[in-house]
Amino acid sequence: MTNATDAVLLDIQDKIATLTINRPEARNAMSIEILDGMHSAIDSLATSETSVLVITGAGKAFSAGMDLKAVLIELSGDASMGEQLLTSLAKLTLKIRKLHQVTVASVNGAAIGGGCGLTCVCDVTISHADAKLGFPEVDLGICPAVIAPWVVKKLGPGKARKAMLMGGIMSGQEAFEIGLVDQLAQDRNGLDELTKAVANRLAQGGQKALSATKNLLNEIDGSFDESLVLKGASLSARVLATPEAQASLAARLKR
Amino acid sequence: MTESLIKVEHQDHVMIVSLNRPDKRNAMTPTMLDELDAALKKTSASIRAIAIVGEGKTFCAGFDLKSCAADPSGETMRALLTGLSTVVRTMRAIPVPIVLGVHGAAVAGGCAMLGGADIVISDEHAKLGYPVVKIGVSPAVSAAFMLASISAGAVRNRLLDTELISGVEAKRIGLVHELVELPEQVRSRTIEIATQLAKKPGTGCIETKAWLNEIVSPMTDHAKQGLDASLSLTGSDEERQRLSALWG
Repeated sequence: MTNATDAVLLDIQDKIATLTINRPEARNAMSIEILDGMHSAIDSLATSETSVLVITGAGKAFSAGMDLKAVLIELSGDASMGEQLLTSLAKLTLKIRKLHQVTVASVNGAAIGGGCGLTCVCDVTISHADAKLGFPEVDLGICPAVIAPWVVKKLGPGKARKAMLMGGIMSGQEAFEIGLVDQLAQDRNGLDELTKAVANRLAQGGQKALSATKNLLNEIDGSFDESLVLKGASLSARVLATPEAQASLAARLKR
Repeated sequence: MTESLIKVEHQDHVMIVSLNRPDKRNAMTPTMLDELDAALKKTSASIRAIAIVGEGKTFCAGFDLKSCAADPSGETMRALLTGLSTVVRTMRAIPVPIVLGVHGAAVAGGCAMLGGADIVISDEHAKLGYPVVKIGVSPAVSAAFMLASISAGAVRNRLLDTELISGVEAKRIGLVHELVELPEQVRSRTIEIATQLAKKPGTGCIETKAWLNEIVSPMTDHAKQGLDASLSLTGSDEERQRLSALWG
């Protein structure tokens, strides 16, 4: 086990790398610490011989999304933190999409907002019936623009529109029905087995064949359009800084 | 006041727009489409979401083909195609989210309106589809907006095959997002969802809708081309013969 930092663990077994977001006490919310840890873990994979990367979360959640405490200006005292976090997330998703490894999101628990966006950038998403996924940004007066390009590519524009404008949270079962999850285990225990089975199956593929296929799909669906994702990050940051958004985040945190 | 083909009501920051020609299954006339477009464009800042529904037994049977058949100049068909394209583009361009409720049936031009909606509700047994090639009309006018909504494979199938599909099948391919059991439940559920959307705080919904429009703009930029393709066939022998066979 190589520790990029202890916030993000990277384990490599033969052809399969596993990245674990490791802040269970914070429901793996994306703080600068977690994002930095993920960047270095992903960077280290660029030259690795592995052909599959599994991304999962330690504890009960996959990732609760952006660290709300960090982006609430009255708490952090730093109005630029939102933009910093969002830009870092945008760059991280672009980096993950470009990896030569096939990426699998193993959604062990809540994957919310940016956390759910992270699953959409992966090539395959697996989860279990009781997991919780969704894009509740609009419920807080904020905007999931930074991850929207990936959600549109994953679900198609119509379903993405519905999921992101309606907000709320859905079960793993519902996420499976709309195609947000590709393969579903019956429960949390079953997910470990499913993750192993999927990762092992993917690892049987020729490394060059896998990465050539992934690269072609990326080219066809416009995944290399970095400016779109970065523009999404600025838009999310702009909405996040509005007084209405800040007020509703503050109300959420006090609850 | 003359009887309008569109009914507009306001409730809790939601504008409810109803197609209002129930005796003709809400069949579209050029005037209805003009009224619809004008009603949609008249949103004030206090409107935070729009619900579009139909009066009577069905949401919409499509164009009023009888009037098309009676007009050999093709002007009526051209006005309908142009009006439809304008309405769908207006629906997309309006900043606030639009929820559309299909009860009973959304056929041809009626189904094309789904391409402008953000969220679509229907009853399980509603009939949906684009059976217009049968009458020598091209549904190309709807293609860009369908491609900006459901998978390209499903778009091809639905625009070329004249079969009507059920609400259940429409949900499977993503044309409909949520089902209710009965047609009578569609209107209240549609308004309920629009009301939920209207209550979301701040500018999140509006900014998200605008951004999604921008993401899919490479597809919707073809809207004018689609309208032109449909217009290029109006008045063709094939269309005239098939229309008069139906209504002559």
